[in-house]
Amino acid sequence: MSAASSVGITLQSVSAAFRSPEGGEVAAVRDVDLAVRPGELLTLLGPSGCGKTTTLRMIAGFQEPSGGTILIGERDVTRIPANKRDIGFVFQSYALFPHLNVFDNVAYGLRMRRTAADAIQSAVAEVLALVGLSAFERRFPGELSGGQQQRVALARAIVIRPRVLLFDEPLSNLDAKLRVDMRTEIQRLQHTLGITTVYVTHDQEEAMAISDRIAVMNDGRIAQLGGAEELYRRPASSFVASFLGRANLLPATVRECGGGSVVLDVAGTTLRVAAATPYPAGATLNVMIRPERVSLRSPDAGLTGEIVRRTYLGEKVEYAVQIGSTLWHVVRADPPEGETLAPGQRVGIAFPCDGVQLLPR
Amino acid sequence: MAVAASARAPAQRDPLRTIVVVALWFVLGLFVLYPLACLLVRAFSDDAGFTFGPIVGALGNPTHLRALRNSIVLATLVGIFGTAAGFLFAFTVERTGMGRGLRRMIDLVILLPLISPPFTTSIGFVFSFGPRGLITHGLFGMQNAQVYGWTSTLTAEALTYFPLAFLALRPLIAAIGGDLEEAAFSLGGSRWQVFRTVTLPLTLPGIGNAFLLIFAASLADFATPLILAGNNLPVLPTDAYLQITGMFDLKGGAVLSLLLLVPAGLVFFAQRYLVERRSYVTITGKIGGRAQGAAAAAWVRWMLWAICAAVTAFILYLYALLVYTSVVVAFGANESLTLANYQVIFTEGIPAIKDTLIIALVAMPLGGLYGVIVGYLIARSRGLGRHMLEIVSMINYALPGTIVGIAYLIAFNDTPFALTGTATIIIACYIFRYSPTGIRTTVALLQQVDRSIEEASFSLGAGTLRTFYGVTLPLIMPAFFAGLGTVFIRAMTAISATIFLVSINWTLITVRILENMTEVALGPAAAFSVFVIVVVLLVTSLLNVALRRMTAPSLHVARLGTAS
Repeated sequence: MSAASSVGITLQSVSAAFRSPEGGEVAAVRDVDLAVRPGELLTLLGPSGCGKTTTLRMIAGFQEPSGGTILIGERDVTRIPANKRDIGFVFQSYALFPHLNVFDNVAYGLRMRRTAADAIQSAVAEVLALVGLSAFERRFPGELSGGQQQRVALARAIVIRPRVLLFDEPLSNLDAKLRVDMRTEIQRLQHTLGITTVYVTHDQEEAMAISDRIAVMNDGRIAQLGGAEELYRRPASSFVASFLGRANLLPATVRECGGGSVVLDVAGTTLRVAAATPYPAGATLNVMIRPERVSLRSPDAGLTGEIVRRTYLGEKVEYAVQIGSTLWHVVRADPPEGETLAPGQRVGIAFPCDGVQLLPR
Repeated sequence: MAVAASARAPAQRDPLRTIVVVALWFVLGLFVLYPLACLLVRAFSDDAGFTFGPIVGALGNPTHLRALRNSIVLATLVGIFGTAAGFLFAFTVERTGMGRGLRRMIDLVILLPLISPPFTTSIGFVFSFGPRGLITHGLFGMQNAQVYGWTSTLTAEALTYFPLAFLALRPLIAAIGGDLEEAAFSLGGSRWQVFRTVTLPLTLPGIGNAFLLIFAASLADFATPLILAGNNLPVLPTDAYLQITGMFDLKGGAVLSLLLLVPAGLVFFAQRYLVERRSYVTITGKIGGRAQGAAAAAWVRWMLWAICAAVTAFILYLYALLVYTSVVVAFGANESLTLANYQVIFTEGIPAIKDTLIIALVAMPLGGLYGVIVGYLIARSRGLGRHMLEIVSMINYALPGTIVGIAYLIAFNDTPFALTGTATIIIACYIFRYSPTGIRTTVALLQQVDRSIEEASFSLGAGTLRTFYGVTLPLIMPAFFAGLGTVFIRAMTAISATIFLVSINWTLITVRILENMTEVALGPAAAFSVFVIVVVLLVTSLLNVALRRMTAPSLHVARLGTAS
């Protein structure tokens, strides 16, 4: 399998409306603009109902957008049916043909393309070797484990050398350990083949591990698009901050602003943090601090509260600390043995100023 | 994520699909809606135009009114007895720890009435309970025993139709077994309490459904009353038939058949309501394993076995009698063995045999295909079109055969669609009347097939047609074969509708059996019946073998759609 010449995917103000049971229209995707770069693996990440699967299905051609344009490469495919788009699709349920064996499942797309029999033979053998299932040609889907079925589904999608690969939550039916192995494998294959890929998941860790870029979706729109680190370190909204990793979000009011910093009222105390853009006095926003940037100290001054929960997770400990009406999440990496903090105990918290971010409310 | 209610699914704009849907509505219009409209127009009009006159006249006629009342009372009684027998058999087979061999045996015997031509039970009754009857005269020495009337009509119909209740109730009773009853036992219920508080209430919708199935079958039954009812028990289907064939009064027959429409319509909608509500039983039942015969006390078990054995033996006796009648010169008079009856049916009976086989073999594939296509469209589309298709495709099945037959007679007698006397009209009648089994099975199977399997095929470059026969059709093959089997069996055995449609050019075995019966040529009638049963058994076995060959071995392992 050689790397195909890659193409991009462009969505121009694409919308999807559904008929609701009450007869009205519900917008699942609203005016989405997105440019997937040639050869990259882009993930659509979001909670269920955010429109990510609908967006993917529109790219595939299983659903028609109610507005907007979809381009694969230079070609407008908005009204082109799925079978003429030259895509590979991997389904959450694998959707293997239960009446065909592994070989025939994988060969299906090649037969639709009227590939010669000997070429089919070698192409199928090659792709099955690639996913490590060479000995399984004559097995039927019902005789395979979940992970093996997923590999067959993958092989079936890539053997036709599609111009784009689309994944719809492909790993959600696998157990946790297998999920990690498979995502590494998908990433490896995608890099080898260089096929432009759109990947849908609701699992933020999976998204961060596998993607070149992530589009976080919420309520039918793209909330933010960027690399995993960029999204984690500089989320554009409270939603992105709390969906990608955990975040302490505290409502704050601007007291004064000037000289590259801003003074805020937060949870009964005053906080001065650096701010690139000026805020008017009296503006309300959210202060965001990642749990791993917060540290615990003795309860003598500043923010103090009570530990309500301690969760030991091996490489880290998580604490929930009640301060006033807010519950703070604190993570301590590599906890020392004999640490004595326990629920009920009073503690103070501290965090560096560069760990604080200001987000629109 | 739920994507069930997409405003636009591109597949629905597929030109091929549009062509199929348009063609389908054309034939449904022609062979379902148009005849029904013709019947209604004929019944509600005279030279002056629209009128209720004929219907009012029929309702004012004491004979017709009596026929209507008889029909309803008979159907109700047959429904009650048939459902009771069906429940008893289903419960005994599923819940009393009966051995495999016995269960197989009961399955087979119960199948017989379902695949037999009409009159089969009637012939047996005449020979058993008539003036020279094997049982009344031979066994008890009675003189001038009277076989015609309520008792034998009721018993014969109940025996013929209780397998419908058995088939409908058996999966329910099997499903309720296991966990649900064990849960009730674990909470301290006695066997009788568990039966009364768990088994019976959970099967109640199913029992209602079974009753309605049998009620409809009895209401529409034409053959049994024609032979066994005698003069004192007029019922509507036979009355309508005699009105047309005896008095050449097509309009009168149409009006009489329409009187059947009201109870039949009520039953149809009551059944739809029940079936829609029934789902909770099947959902809960799926979890439970088969119960291990703890449901009845030993003495109850023995009693149930005794009753089932008696009924089964009686059915076997009736069929033995039929075979015996077909190989003797004249039953009751000269009982020397002969093949003369078979000689008769294979010489002068050949045209009827040939016609019936041609019609059945043409109707079978067409009906099977029609069933899966309609089932596919119902299962894979939404909205008004789907509901219309669902209801219209059921009409000819739900209507009593007499109505359908008379409607076809009226509709296709004249231009623009003069089809009377052709094989086409008989074939069309069978296809649209007996394909709903295939349709329903297709819908049920497709509901288990994940839609993404078809989408996978699209994504790999296959079009609608390739996807249908490469992926969908193999997965609904059992439904296709169920449709083939039903259409063939019915084409070999039905009479109530097609008796109005036969002609000099095209006749049917069942009509010849009726003629033989009225000419008291019971030997040939029995020989024809045996022939039909043998052919039906042969063809259905062949279909079963073919189905097993054509279904991939994997389908026995894989659960459709969610192969996990």
